[in-house]
Amino acid sequence: MIQTLRRLFLTFLFISVSTSSTFAESDKAEEPILDVMGTVADHDYFLFSSLTLPRFILLENADGETSFEVFKSTHSAAESGLFEEVNHALVPTNGGRIVIDFSITSHLMFFWMGMGLALLFTITMAGRYKKGIGKDVEPKGWLQNIFEILFLFIRDDVSRANIDDKKADKYMPYLFTMFMGIAFMNLFGLLPWAATATADLTVTATLAVITFFVTQFSGTKDYWGHVFWFPGVPGWVRLILTPVEVLGLFTKPFALAIRLFANMLSGKIMIIAILGLIFIFADLFGEIGGYGISLVSVSLTVALYALKVFVGLLQAYIFTLLSAVFIGMAAEDHHHGEEHYNAEHAA
Amino acid sequence: MGLLAAGIGAGIVALGAGIGIGMIGKAATESIARQPEAAGDIRGAMILTAAFIEGVALLGAVICILLALQIGS
Repeated sequence: MIQTLRRLFLTFLFISVSTSSTFAESDKAEEPILDVMGTVADHDYFLFSSLTLPRFILLENADGETSFEVFKSTHSAAESGLFEEVNHALVPTNGGRIVIDFSITSHLMFFWMGMGLALLFTITMAGRYKKGIGKDVEPKGWLQNIFEILFLFIRDDVSRANIDDKKADKYMPYLFTMFMGIAFMNLFGLLPWAATATADLTVTATLAVITFFVTQFSGTKDYWGHVFWFPGVPGWVRLILTPVEVLGLFTKPFALAIRLFANMLSGKIMIIAILGLIFIFADLFGEIGGYGISLVSVSLTVALYALKVFVGLLQAYIFTLLSAVFIGMAAEDHHHGEEHYNAEHAA
Repeated sequence: MGLLAAGIGAGIVALGAGIGIGMIGKAATESIARQPEAAGDIRGAMILTAAFIEGVALLGAVICILLALQIGS
């Protein structure tokens, strides 16, 4: 089961990293009108194709020696003679192989930008509260008011509602960082020329893995007891329950990653598909058909954009909420209450 | 064949998710009508449960994409 999951996970990684090349290969015979997956895939440039990003590649040559190669862009990597450019992907020449590709990509840039904006926003606001604005007098300006609404929302409705009251505020920095970071990353995807970093499984999987570790490290003795030695059931049931519970540890962050990834990706694909109708109709019915359907397509896209703003914020909220629920389940001290309950009902 | 499977699979995924989320919506609106003062808590629980269903549905949808693009075959 775990192997199947891992294989699935690797396949997802594969689709999110190298879709452009796979898609191009399968459609070599007929050029597609619109390369949907190529549009949503990760790129080696930032905003415009002229702003190329550096490539850092750990390369192993045919003799088994590894070297760390740094290039200004994919193009200069191809020019160096160590690589060939095949469908925007780098393929090493002379029988070498890429061990790890550390290259900075557009999704990574937007990940940094999202997290950086979250950091900037929070630190600026923290400075204001230190000065006393918002503490002694009421918060000033729309920015601080928005901050206070969001912060109180995450603190009261997400953190304190799901984690034990004593521990809730300890996890608040993590939850708020996640919320702001994911919200910024999702909303960046709405800007022209920008990319949605969260529509990449590598990004969402990283976020989910962080949640996984936070959850496991905040687990109480009771939580691990429930995982490995479920209380109050006959011995043979534990043979079934323990593997299921252990699997459950991993499926939770897995579902978290897939949920965010698929939501953001489907939004992008939907918009591209609806705009792509213009080109398909123009191809089928001539220019008039293209102009005709563009009225429908563009108005639908406007509605979808409004929906995407909502979905972007909602998914950031859901990611944070589920993280809080998982952490709350792990950090909960419910043993005393339960023993009491069992004793009461046995008597 | 993969395209056919992807189409049928996407339909079934949408059907399952639709039934699930519809039942949540039904239960939530009924309980809000019965107890309007608890609307906030009910809405939170509704979104949480819908997110779980959506997660499973999207897993199916992603597998349909894999089938349609013939990845791994």
